[in-house]
Amino acid sequence: MNLSNYFEPSRFWLLLKMELFKSRKGFILTFVVTFGLLFTGFILENIFGTERVFDSHPAGYAFFLLIGGFILSSLAFNDLSNPLRRYNYLTLPASTFEKFMSMWLLTCIGWIIMFTLTFIIYTLIANSIGHLFFKKMTFLAFEPMARTPIHSIRYYIVFQTIFLAGAVHFRGYVFPKTIFTVLLFGMVCGIIFYIIMADIIHSDLECPSDFNPFKEGTLLQIWHIVQWLIWWMMAPLGWIITYTGLKDQEV
Amino acid sequence: MIKIENLSFSYNQNRQLFNQLNLTLPAGNIYGLLGKNGAGKSTLLKIISGLLFPKNGNIDVVGFLPKDRFPQFLREIYLVTEEFNLPSLNMDCFVRLYSPFYPRFNHSLLNDYLYEFRIPREQKLSAMSYGQKKNFLLCFGLATDCKLLILDEPTNGLDIPSKSHFRKIIANAVHEERSFIISTHQVRDMENLIDPIIILDEGEIIFFQDYEQISKKLVVSKQTEMPDSDSVVYYEPSLGGYTVVKENTDRIETRMSLELLFNAVVGNKEKINELFKS
Repeated sequence: MNLSNYFEPSRFWLLLKMELFKSRKGFILTFVVTFGLLFTGFILENIFGTERVFDSHPAGYAFFLLIGGFILSSLAFNDLSNPLRRYNYLTLPASTFEKFMSMWLLTCIGWIIMFTLTFIIYTLIANSIGHLFFKKMTFLAFEPMARTPIHSIRYYIVFQTIFLAGAVHFRGYVFPKTIFTVLLFGMVCGIIFYIIMADIIHSDLECPSDFNPFKEGTLLQIWHIVQWLIWWMMAPLGWIITYTGLKDQEV
Repeated sequence: MIKIENLSFSYNQNRQLFNQLNLTLPAGNIYGLLGKNGAGKSTLLKIISGLLFPKNGNIDVVGFLPKDRFPQFLREIYLVTEEFNLPSLNMDCFVRLYSPFYPRFNHSLLNDYLYEFRIPREQKLSAMSYGQKKNFLLCFGLATDCKLLILDEPTNGLDIPSKSHFRKIIANAVHEERSFIISTHQVRDMENLIDPIIILDEGEIIFFQDYEQISKKLVVSKQTEMPDSDSVVYYEPSLGGYTVVKENTDRIETRMSLELLFNAVVGNKEKINELFKS
Protein backbone atom coordinates (compact mmCIF):
# COMPACT_ATOMS: atom_id res chain seq x y z
CA MET A 1 0.00 0.00 0.00
CA ASN A 2 1.43 3.32 -1.10
CA LEU A 3 0.68 5.77 1.73
CA SER A 4 1.07 8.82 -0.50
CA ASN A 5 -2.06 7.66 -2.33
CA TYR A 6 -3.93 8.52 0.86
CA PHE A 7 -2.01 11.31 2.54
CA GLU A 8 0.89 13.55 1.71
CA PRO A 9 1.50 16.58 3.97
CA SER A 10 2.59 18.95 1.18
CA ARG A 11 -0.43 18.10 -0.98
CA PHE A 12 -2.73 18.35 2.02
CA TRP A 13 -1.37 21.82 2.77
CA LEU A 14 -2.02 22.88 -0.84
CA LEU A 15 -5.58 21.62 -0.61
CA LEU A 16 -6.15 23.31 2.73
CA LYS A 17 -4.91 26.62 1.33
CA MET A 18 -7.12 26.22 -1.71
CA GLU A 19 -10.23 25.38 0.31
CA LEU A 20 -9.59 28.27 2.68
CA PHE A 21 -9.20 30.61 -0.28
CA LYS A 22 -12.31 29.31 -2.04
CA SER A 23 -14.48 29.39 1.08
CA ARG A 24 -13.25 32.78 2.29
CA LYS A 25 -16.52 34.49 1.31
CA GLY A 26 -18.62 31.89 3.17
CA PHE A 27 -16.41 32.28 6.24
CA ILE A 28 -16.58 36.07 6.18
CA LEU A 29 -20.36 36.03 5.65
CA THR A 30 -20.86 33.61 8.55
CA PHE A 31 -18.70 35.81 10.79
CA VAL A 32 -20.46 39.03 9.77
CA VAL A 33 -23.95 37.54 10.32
CA THR A 34 -22.97 35.86 13.61
CA PHE A 35 -21.32 38.89 15.15
CA GLY A 36 -23.96 41.23 13.74
CA LEU A 37 -26.61 39.20 15.55
CA LEU A 38 -24.49 39.07 18.70
CA PHE A 39 -24.06 42.84 18.77
CA THR A 40 -27.76 43.42 18.10
CA GLY A 41 -28.68 40.98 20.87
CA PHE A 42 -26.18 42.62 23.22
CA ILE A 43 -27.60 46.11 22.67
CA LEU A 44 -31.26 44.98 22.90
CA GLU A 45 -30.60 43.05 26.08
CA ASN A 46 -28.98 46.08 27.67
CA ILE A 47 -31.81 48.38 26.63
CA PHE A 48 -34.72 46.15 27.54
CA GLY A 49 -33.18 43.79 30.10
CA THR A 50 -33.84 44.15 33.81
CA GLU A 51 -30.64 42.51 35.09
CA ARG A 52 -27.92 44.62 36.68
CA VAL A 53 -25.18 42.22 35.69
CA PHE A 54 -24.55 41.22 32.07
CA ASP A 55 -23.46 37.59 32.07
CA SER A 56 -24.83 36.34 28.74
CA HIS A 57 -21.51 35.97 26.93
CA PRO A 58 -21.08 32.23 27.64
CA ALA A 59 -24.65 31.50 26.47
CA GLY A 60 -24.13 33.64 23.36
CA TYR A 61 -20.85 31.86 22.69
CA ALA A 62 -22.46 28.42 22.99
CA PHE A 63 -25.47 29.28 20.85
CA PHE A 64 -23.57 30.91 17.99
CA LEU A 65 -20.68 28.44 18.06
CA LEU A 66 -23.17 25.65 17.47
CA ILE A 67 -25.58 27.34 15.04
CA GLY A 68 -22.89 29.17 13.04
CA GLY A 69 -20.73 26.06 12.93
CA PHE A 70 -23.59 23.82 11.84
CA ILE A 71 -24.47 26.20 9.01
CA LEU A 72 -20.81 26.44 8.00
CA SER A 73 -20.46 22.65 8.07
CA SER A 74 -23.54 22.36 5.86
CA LEU A 75 -21.73 24.54 3.32
CA ALA A 76 -18.72 22.18 3.25
CA PHE A 77 -18.33 20.15 0.06
CA ASN A 78 -20.39 22.83 -1.65
CA ASP A 79 -18.76 21.84 -4.96
CA LEU A 80 -20.60 18.53 -4.85
CA SER A 81 -23.98 20.30 -5.06
CA ASN A 82 -23.28 21.58 -8.56
CA PRO A 83 -22.88 18.88 -11.25
CA LEU A 84 -20.26 20.88 -13.16
CA ARG A 85 -18.24 21.88 -10.10
CA ARG A 86 -18.35 18.24 -9.00
CA TYR A 87 -16.21 17.27 -12.03
CA ASN A 88 -13.47 19.69 -10.92
CA TYR A 89 -13.63 18.66 -7.30
CA LEU A 90 -13.56 14.92 -7.89
CA THR A 91 -10.76 15.06 -10.47
CA LEU A 92 -8.56 17.39 -8.40
CA PRO A 93 -5.39 15.39 -7.70
CA ALA A 94 -5.80 15.02 -3.94
CA SER A 95 -6.90 11.92 -2.07
CA THR A 96 -10.40 11.45 -0.69
CA PHE A 97 -8.92 11.36 2.80
CA GLU A 98 -7.19 14.70 2.24
CA LYS A 99 -10.41 16.21 0.88
CA PHE A 100 -12.31 14.98 3.92
CA MET A 101 -9.61 16.08 6.38
CA SER A 102 -9.33 19.56 4.89
CA MET A 103 -13.07 20.13 5.24
CA TRP A 104 -13.16 18.71 8.75
CA LEU A 105 -10.24 20.85 9.84
CA LEU A 106 -11.77 24.00 8.41
CA THR A 107 -15.32 23.49 9.68
CA CYS A 108 -14.48 21.92 13.04
CA ILE A 109 -11.11 22.92 14.47
CA GLY A 110 -10.74 25.98 12.23
CA TRP A 111 -14.20 27.26 13.11
CA ILE A 112 -13.71 26.68 16.86
CA ILE A 113 -10.39 28.56 16.89
CA MET A 114 -11.52 31.40 14.65
CA PHE A 115 -14.88 31.80 16.38
CA THR A 116 -13.35 31.74 19.87
CA LEU A 117 -10.68 34.30 19.00
CA THR A 118 -13.22 36.58 17.33
CA PHE A 119 -15.65 36.11 20.21
CA ILE A 120 -12.98 37.17 22.71
CA ILE A 121 -12.35 40.32 20.67
CA TYR A 122 -16.11 40.86 20.36
CA THR A 123 -16.65 40.62 24.15
CA LEU A 124 -13.84 43.09 24.79
CA ILE A 125 -15.37 45.57 22.34
CA ALA A 126 -18.96 44.91 23.47
CA ASN A 127 -18.09 45.27 27.17
CA SER A 128 -16.23 48.54 26.50
CA ILE A 129 -19.22 49.91 24.57
CA GLY A 130 -21.53 48.65 27.34
CA HIS A 131 -19.47 50.43 30.01
CA LEU A 132 -19.67 53.61 27.97
CA PHE A 133 -23.44 53.64 27.38
CA PHE A 134 -24.87 51.62 30.28
CA LYS A 135 -22.89 52.88 33.23
CA LYS A 136 -25.06 51.20 35.90
CA MET A 137 -24.52 47.74 34.45
CA THR A 138 -21.71 45.34 35.33
CA PHE A 139 -20.30 43.41 32.38
CA LEU A 140 -18.66 40.09 33.14
CA ALA A 141 -15.64 39.19 31.06
CA PHE A 142 -15.79 36.13 28.81
CA GLU A 143 -13.70 33.21 30.04
CA PRO A 144 -12.99 30.85 27.12
CA MET A 145 -11.73 28.13 29.46
CA ALA A 146 -14.82 28.18 31.69
CA ARG A 147 -17.23 25.25 31.90
CA THR A 148 -19.86 26.47 29.39
CA PRO A 149 -17.47 27.26 26.48
CA ILE A 150 -15.57 23.99 26.96
CA HIS A 151 -18.83 22.03 27.06
CA SER A 152 -20.05 23.85 23.95
CA ILE A 153 -16.87 22.89 22.10
CA ARG A 154 -17.34 19.29 23.14
CA TYR A 155 -20.94 19.31 21.90
CA TYR A 156 -19.88 21.00 18.68
CA ILE A 157 -17.15 18.46 17.86
CA VAL A 158 -19.61 15.61 18.33
CA PHE A 159 -22.73 17.02 16.62
CA GLN A 160 -20.93 18.86 13.82
CA THR A 161 -20.24 15.52 12.15
CA ILE A 162 -23.98 15.14 11.45
CA PHE A 163 -23.92 18.29 9.32
CA LEU A 164 -20.63 17.33 7.66
CA ALA A 165 -22.14 13.97 6.69
CA GLY A 166 -25.26 15.81 5.48
CA ALA A 167 -23.05 18.07 3.33
CA VAL A 168 -21.73 15.01 1.47
CA HIS A 169 -25.03 13.21 1.07
CA PHE A 170 -27.49 15.99 0.26
CA ARG A 171 -27.51 18.11 -2.89
CA GLY A 172 -28.48 21.68 -2.04
CA TYR A 173 -30.42 22.99 1.01
CA VAL A 174 -28.13 20.87 3.16
CA PHE A 175 -28.87 22.60 6.48
CA PRO A 176 -32.70 22.24 6.41
CA LYS A 177 -32.46 18.73 4.96
CA THR A 178 -30.07 17.67 7.73
CA ILE A 179 -32.29 19.22 10.42
CA PHE A 180 -35.31 17.43 8.94
CA THR A 181 -33.43 14.11 8.91
CA VAL A 182 -32.34 14.58 12.53
CA LEU A 183 -35.93 15.41 13.53
CA LEU A 184 -37.21 12.35 11.68
CA PHE A 185 -34.60 10.18 13.39
CA GLY A 186 -35.53 11.74 16.74
CA MET A 187 -39.19 10.95 16.14
CA VAL A 188 -38.40 7.33 15.29
CA CYS A 189 -36.27 7.06 18.46
CA GLY A 190 -39.09 8.70 20.46
CA ILE A 191 -41.63 6.18 19.15
CA ILE A 192 -39.30 3.25 19.97
CA PHE A 193 -38.68 4.72 23.43
CA TYR A 194 -42.42 5.13 23.93
CA ILE A 195 -43.08 1.52 22.90
CA ILE A 196 -40.43 0.29 25.39
CA MET A 197 -41.57 2.57 28.19
CA ALA A 198 -45.32 2.39 27.50
CA ASP A 199 -45.98 0.25 30.60
CA ILE A 200 -44.28 2.72 32.94
CA ILE A 201 -45.91 5.73 31.26
CA HIS A 202 -49.42 4.28 31.45
CA SER A 203 -49.07 2.65 34.88
CA ASP A 204 -51.13 3.90 37.81
CA LEU A 205 -47.96 4.41 39.83
CA GLU A 206 -47.67 7.77 41.50
CA CYS A 207 -44.79 9.72 40.12
CA PRO A 208 -43.02 11.67 42.86
CA SER A 209 -41.00 14.73 41.88
CA ASP A 210 -37.66 12.99 42.45
CA PHE A 211 -38.70 9.94 40.42
CA ASN A 212 -35.99 9.04 37.90
CA PRO A 213 -36.28 5.72 36.06
CA PHE A 214 -32.60 6.03 35.05
CA LYS A 215 -31.43 6.15 38.67
CA GLU A 216 -30.69 2.47 39.02
CA GLY A 217 -30.87 -0.96 37.43
CA THR A 218 -30.84 -1.96 33.76
CA LEU A 219 -32.19 1.36 32.52
CA LEU A 220 -29.29 3.17 34.16
CA GLN A 221 -26.84 0.85 32.40
CA ILE A 222 -28.58 1.40 29.06
CA TRP A 223 -28.49 5.15 29.67
CA HIS A 224 -24.74 5.00 30.35
CA ILE A 225 -24.18 3.02 27.18
CA VAL A 226 -26.22 5.52 25.15
CA GLN A 227 -24.24 8.41 26.65
CA TRP A 228 -20.96 6.66 25.95
CA LEU A 229 -22.04 5.94 22.38
CA ILE A 230 -23.00 9.57 21.81
CA TRP A 231 -19.82 11.04 23.25
CA TRP A 232 -17.29 8.55 21.91
CA MET A 233 -18.82 6.84 18.89
CA MET A 234 -21.00 9.44 17.19
CA ALA A 235 -18.16 11.64 15.90
CA PRO A 236 -16.04 8.75 14.50
CA LEU A 237 -19.17 7.25 12.95
CA GLY A 238 -19.99 10.60 11.35
CA TRP A 239 -16.44 10.89 10.02
CA ILE A 240 -16.64 7.40 8.51
CA ILE A 241 -20.03 8.17 6.91
CA THR A 242 -18.65 11.43 5.50
CA TYR A 243 -15.48 9.79 4.19
CA THR A 244 -17.25 6.85 2.54
CA GLY A 245 -19.90 9.19 1.14
CA LEU A 246 -17.14 11.26 -0.43
CA LYS A 247 -15.34 8.20 -1.74
CA ASP A 248 -18.49 6.87 -3.39
CA GLN A 249 -19.37 10.14 -5.12
CA GLU A 250 -20.07 9.88 -8.83
CA VAL A 251 -21.12 12.53 -11.31
CA MET B 1 -2.42 2.91 -21.28
CA ILE B 2 -6.12 1.98 -21.05
CA LYS B 3 -7.31 -1.57 -20.73
CA ILE B 4 -10.99 -2.32 -20.33
CA GLU B 5 -12.14 -5.92 -19.88
CA ASN B 6 -15.74 -7.14 -19.73
CA LEU B 7 -16.98 -3.82 -18.46
CA SER B 8 -20.65 -3.52 -17.60
CA PHE B 9 -22.42 -0.34 -16.66
CA SER B 10 -26.01 0.78 -16.31
CA TYR B 11 -27.68 3.93 -15.03
CA ASN B 12 -30.71 1.90 -13.95
CA GLN B 13 -31.60 -1.74 -13.67
CA ASN B 14 -33.89 -1.76 -16.72
CA ARG B 15 -31.38 -0.62 -19.29
CA GLN B 16 -27.77 -1.74 -19.46
CA LEU B 17 -25.58 0.71 -21.35
CA PHE B 18 -22.36 -1.31 -21.54
CA ASN B 19 -22.40 -5.08 -21.43
CA GLN B 20 -19.06 -6.91 -21.48
CA LEU B 21 -17.25 -4.03 -23.18
CA ASN B 22 -13.61 -4.65 -24.11
CA LEU B 23 -11.17 -2.00 -25.27
CA THR B 24 -7.40 -1.57 -25.26
CA LEU B 25 -5.87 1.78 -26.09
CA PRO B 26 -2.06 1.94 -26.30
CA ALA B 27 -0.32 5.25 -25.53
CA GLY B 28 0.79 7.77 -28.14
CA ASN B 29 -2.38 8.30 -30.18
CA ILE B 30 -5.17 10.79 -30.65
CA TYR B 31 -8.22 8.59 -30.38
CA GLY B 32 -11.44 9.84 -31.90
CA LEU B 33 -14.53 8.60 -30.11
CA LEU B 34 -17.58 8.95 -32.31
CA GLY B 35 -21.16 7.93 -31.82
CA LYS B 36 -24.76 9.05 -31.95
CA ASN B 37 -26.39 10.85 -29.04
CA GLY B 38 -26.90 8.43 -26.17
CA ALA B 39 -24.38 5.92 -27.55
CA GLY B 40 -22.42 6.07 -24.29
CA LYS B 41 -19.42 8.23 -25.27
CA SER B 42 -19.56 10.63 -22.32
CA THR B 43 -20.32 7.77 -19.94
CA LEU B 44 -17.26 5.87 -21.14
CA LEU B 45 -15.10 8.97 -20.68
CA LYS B 46 -16.48 9.44 -17.17
CA ILE B 47 -15.73 5.80 -16.31
CA ILE B 48 -12.17 6.21 -17.61
CA SER B 49 -11.77 9.36 -15.48
CA GLY B 50 -13.10 7.68 -12.34
CA LEU B 51 -16.21 9.83 -12.21
CA LEU B 52 -18.56 6.89 -12.73
CA PHE B 53 -18.03 3.40 -11.37
CA PRO B 54 -18.55 0.30 -13.52
CA LYS B 55 -20.89 -2.36 -12.19
CA ASN B 56 -18.67 -5.22 -13.36
CA GLY B 57 -15.43 -5.82 -15.19
CA ASN B 58 -11.87 -4.53 -14.99
CA ILE B 59 -10.53 -1.19 -16.01
CA ASP B 60 -6.93 -0.04 -15.86
CA VAL B 61 -6.00 3.51 -16.79
CA VAL B 62 -2.31 4.54 -16.72
CA GLY B 63 -1.71 1.72 -14.23
CA PHE B 64 -4.50 2.63 -11.82
CA LEU B 65 -8.04 1.63 -11.05
CA PRO B 66 -9.95 4.88 -11.84
CA LYS B 67 -12.57 4.21 -9.14
CA ASP B 68 -9.90 4.70 -6.44
CA ARG B 69 -9.25 8.25 -7.62
CA PHE B 70 -5.74 8.17 -6.20
CA PRO B 71 -3.85 11.47 -6.59
CA GLN B 72 -1.16 9.70 -8.64
CA PHE B 73 -3.87 8.71 -11.09
CA LEU B 74 -5.68 12.04 -11.12
CA ARG B 75 -2.48 13.94 -11.89
CA GLU B 76 -2.00 11.80 -15.02
CA ILE B 77 -5.40 12.53 -16.54
CA TYR B 78 -7.06 15.81 -17.43
CA LEU B 79 -10.68 16.01 -18.44
CA VAL B 80 -12.20 18.92 -20.36
CA THR B 81 -15.95 18.40 -20.47
CA GLU B 82 -18.38 19.97 -22.91
CA GLU B 83 -19.94 22.03 -20.16
CA PHE B 84 -17.80 23.18 -17.29
CA ASN B 85 -17.65 25.54 -14.39
CA LEU B 86 -14.68 27.75 -13.69
CA PRO B 87 -14.28 29.52 -10.36
CA SER B 88 -14.59 33.28 -10.22
CA LEU B 89 -10.85 33.91 -10.12
CA ASN B 90 -8.42 35.57 -12.43
CA MET B 91 -6.24 33.31 -14.51
CA ASP B 92 -3.06 33.78 -12.49
CA CYS B 93 -4.86 32.95 -9.29
CA PHE B 94 -6.36 29.81 -10.84
CA VAL B 95 -2.96 28.69 -12.07
CA ARG B 96 -1.35 29.46 -8.69
CA LEU B 97 -3.99 27.41 -6.85
CA TYR B 98 -4.34 24.42 -9.18
CA SER B 99 -0.97 23.95 -10.89
CA PRO B 100 0.93 22.73 -7.77
CA PHE B 101 -1.24 19.60 -7.79
CA TYR B 102 0.44 18.60 -11.05
CA PRO B 103 4.14 17.98 -10.33
CA ARG B 104 5.24 18.32 -13.96
CA PHE B 105 3.25 21.47 -14.63
CA ASN B 106 5.06 23.61 -17.20
CA HIS B 107 4.39 27.35 -16.78
CA SER B 108 6.29 28.43 -19.86
CA LEU B 109 4.35 25.94 -21.96
CA LEU B 110 1.13 27.36 -20.55
CA ASN B 111 2.22 30.87 -21.58
CA ASP B 112 3.01 29.62 -25.09
CA TYR B 113 -0.38 27.96 -25.47
CA LEU B 114 -2.22 30.99 -24.08
CA TYR B 115 -0.32 33.15 -26.56
CA GLU B 116 -1.29 30.87 -29.43
CA PHE B 117 -4.95 31.06 -28.46
CA ARG B 118 -4.66 34.85 -27.89
CA ILE B 119 -5.98 34.58 -24.33
CA PRO B 120 -5.04 37.60 -22.19
CA ARG B 121 -3.50 36.44 -18.89
CA GLU B 122 -4.85 39.21 -16.68
CA GLN B 123 -8.50 38.48 -17.54
CA LYS B 124 -10.90 37.11 -14.93
CA LEU B 125 -12.07 33.62 -15.88
CA SER B 126 -15.74 34.42 -15.32
CA ALA B 127 -15.46 37.38 -17.73
CA MET B 128 -14.20 35.18 -20.58
CA SER B 129 -16.34 33.87 -23.41
CA TYR B 130 -17.28 30.19 -23.47
CA GLY B 131 -14.74 29.48 -26.21
CA GLN B 132 -11.96 31.31 -24.34
CA LYS B 133 -12.71 29.38 -21.18
CA LYS B 134 -12.59 26.12 -23.09
CA ASN B 135 -9.30 27.09 -24.70
CA PHE B 136 -7.89 28.08 -21.32
CA LEU B 137 -8.83 24.70 -19.84
CA LEU B 138 -7.22 22.98 -22.79
CA CYS B 139 -4.03 25.06 -22.35
CA PHE B 140 -3.99 24.26 -18.64
CA GLY B 141 -4.57 20.56 -19.30
CA LEU B 142 -1.73 20.45 -21.82
CA ALA B 143 0.60 22.30 -19.43
CA THR B 144 -0.01 19.68 -16.71
CA ASP B 145 2.00 17.27 -18.87
CA CYS B 146 -0.43 14.51 -17.96
CA LYS B 147 -0.43 11.20 -19.81
CA LEU B 148 -4.07 11.24 -20.86
CA LEU B 149 -6.13 14.20 -21.98
CA ILE B 150 -9.82 13.53 -22.36
CA LEU B 151 -11.71 16.09 -24.39
CA ASP B 152 -15.48 15.94 -24.70
CA GLU B 153 -16.73 18.03 -27.63
CA PRO B 154 -13.62 20.26 -27.56
CA THR B 155 -14.45 22.34 -30.64
CA ASN B 156 -18.03 23.20 -29.63
CA GLY B 157 -18.18 26.94 -29.19
CA LEU B 158 -14.76 27.64 -30.68
CA ASP B 159 -14.42 30.21 -33.45
CA ILE B 160 -12.76 29.32 -36.75
CA PRO B 161 -9.22 30.52 -35.87
CA SER B 162 -9.44 28.73 -32.52
CA LYS B 163 -10.39 25.48 -34.23
CA SER B 164 -7.30 25.56 -36.41
CA HIS B 165 -5.13 26.53 -33.39
CA PHE B 166 -6.71 23.63 -31.55
CA ARG B 167 -5.81 21.13 -34.29
CA LYS B 168 -2.27 22.46 -34.53
CA ILE B 169 -1.67 22.40 -30.78
CA ILE B 170 -3.10 18.92 -30.27
CA ALA B 171 -1.14 17.49 -33.19
CA ASN B 172 2.09 18.91 -31.73
CA ALA B 173 1.35 17.90 -28.15
CA VAL B 174 0.98 14.16 -28.68
CA HIS B 175 4.02 12.00 -27.97
CA GLU B 176 4.68 8.34 -27.30
CA GLU B 177 3.74 8.57 -23.62
CA ARG B 178 0.76 10.85 -24.02
CA SER B 179 -2.62 10.15 -25.54
CA PHE B 180 -5.75 12.08 -26.27
CA ILE B 181 -9.30 10.81 -26.38
CA ILE B 182 -11.51 13.21 -28.24
CA SER B 183 -15.22 12.62 -28.22
CA THR B 184 -17.08 14.69 -30.76
CA HIS B 185 -19.96 15.16 -33.13
CA GLN B 186 -18.07 17.88 -35.00
CA VAL B 187 -16.29 15.37 -37.20
CA ARG B 188 -15.25 17.95 -39.79
CA ASP B 189 -13.18 19.76 -37.16
CA MET B 190 -11.30 16.54 -36.46
CA GLU B 191 -10.38 15.58 -40.02
CA ASN B 192 -6.70 14.64 -40.27
CA LEU B 193 -6.31 14.87 -36.51
CA ILE B 194 -7.89 11.83 -34.90
CA ASP B 195 -6.49 8.40 -35.65
CA PRO B 196 -7.55 5.66 -34.76
CA ILE B 197 -11.31 6.03 -34.90
CA ILE B 198 -13.56 4.40 -32.35
CA ILE B 199 -17.27 4.27 -33.07
CA LEU B 200 -19.62 3.51 -30.26
CA ASP B 201 -23.22 2.52 -30.90
CA GLU B 202 -25.78 1.54 -28.26
CA GLY B 203 -23.05 0.80 -25.75
CA GLU B 204 -20.99 -1.35 -28.12
CA ILE B 205 -17.77 -0.60 -29.90
CA ILE B 206 -18.76 -1.32 -33.48
CA PHE B 207 -15.62 0.03 -35.10
CA PHE B 208 -12.03 0.56 -33.97
CA GLN B 209 -9.53 1.04 -36.80
CA ASP B 210 -6.74 3.36 -37.81
CA TYR B 211 -6.70 5.25 -41.08
CA GLU B 212 -4.13 2.97 -42.64
CA GLN B 213 -6.46 0.01 -42.28
CA ILE B 214 -9.46 2.04 -43.38
CA SER B 215 -7.83 3.11 -46.67
CA LYS B 216 -6.62 -0.44 -47.23
CA LYS B 217 -10.08 -1.89 -46.85
CA LEU B 218 -12.39 0.82 -48.15
CA VAL B 219 -12.45 3.04 -51.19
CA VAL B 220 -14.57 6.07 -51.93
CA SER B 221 -15.79 7.01 -55.36
CA LYS B 222 -18.39 9.16 -57.07
CA GLN B 223 -20.90 7.93 -59.61
CA THR B 224 -23.89 9.38 -61.34
CA GLU B 225 -26.09 6.28 -61.27
CA MET B 226 -27.60 4.90 -58.09
CA PRO B 227 -25.48 1.85 -57.16
CA ASP B 228 -26.79 -1.60 -56.41
CA SER B 229 -26.84 -1.80 -52.61
CA ASP B 230 -25.41 -5.36 -52.59
CA SER B 231 -22.27 -4.35 -54.46
CA VAL B 232 -21.34 -1.47 -52.15
CA VAL B 233 -20.85 -0.97 -48.44
CA TYR B 234 -22.65 2.33 -48.33
CA TYR B 235 -23.79 5.13 -50.58
CA GLU B 236 -25.37 8.49 -50.14
CA PRO B 237 -26.65 11.10 -52.56
CA SER B 238 -24.28 13.97 -53.23
CA LEU B 239 -23.98 16.85 -55.67
CA GLY B 240 -24.29 15.44 -59.18
CA GLY B 241 -24.73 11.82 -58.21
CA TYR B 242 -23.77 9.46 -55.40
CA THR B 243 -20.82 9.07 -53.06
CA VAL B 244 -20.10 5.39 -52.77
CA VAL B 245 -18.05 3.44 -50.24
CA LYS B 246 -16.87 0.07 -51.56
CA GLU B 247 -14.47 -2.66 -50.65
CA ASN B 248 -10.98 -1.70 -51.81
CA THR B 249 -10.27 -4.63 -54.09
CA ASP B 250 -7.96 -2.68 -56.43
CA ARG B 251 -5.66 -1.36 -53.66
CA ILE B 252 -6.39 2.25 -54.56
CA GLU B 253 -5.73 4.73 -51.77
CA THR B 254 -8.48 7.24 -51.15
CA ARG B 255 -9.08 9.48 -48.18
CA MET B 256 -12.52 9.10 -46.74
CA SER B 257 -14.14 11.91 -44.76
CA LEU B 258 -14.96 11.10 -41.15
CA GLU B 259 -18.59 11.89 -41.73
CA LEU B 260 -18.83 9.43 -44.59
CA LEU B 261 -16.95 6.79 -42.64
CA PHE B 262 -19.25 7.24 -39.65
CA ASN B 263 -22.37 7.00 -41.81
CA ALA B 264 -21.01 3.92 -43.56
CA VAL B 265 -20.17 2.16 -40.30
CA VAL B 266 -23.46 2.97 -38.62
CA GLY B 267 -25.43 2.32 -41.82
CA ASN B 268 -23.97 -1.09 -42.55
CA LYS B 269 -22.41 -2.54 -39.40
CA GLU B 270 -22.49 -6.15 -40.60
CA LYS B 271 -20.69 -5.56 -43.88
CA ILE B 272 -18.07 -3.32 -42.28
CA ASN B 273 -17.48 -5.96 -39.61
CA GLU B 274 -17.09 -8.66 -42.23
CA LEU B 275 -14.65 -6.58 -44.25
CA PHE B 276 -12.39 -5.66 -41.38
CA LYS B 277 -12.37 -9.17 -39.94
CA SER B 278 -11.07 -10.65 -43.17
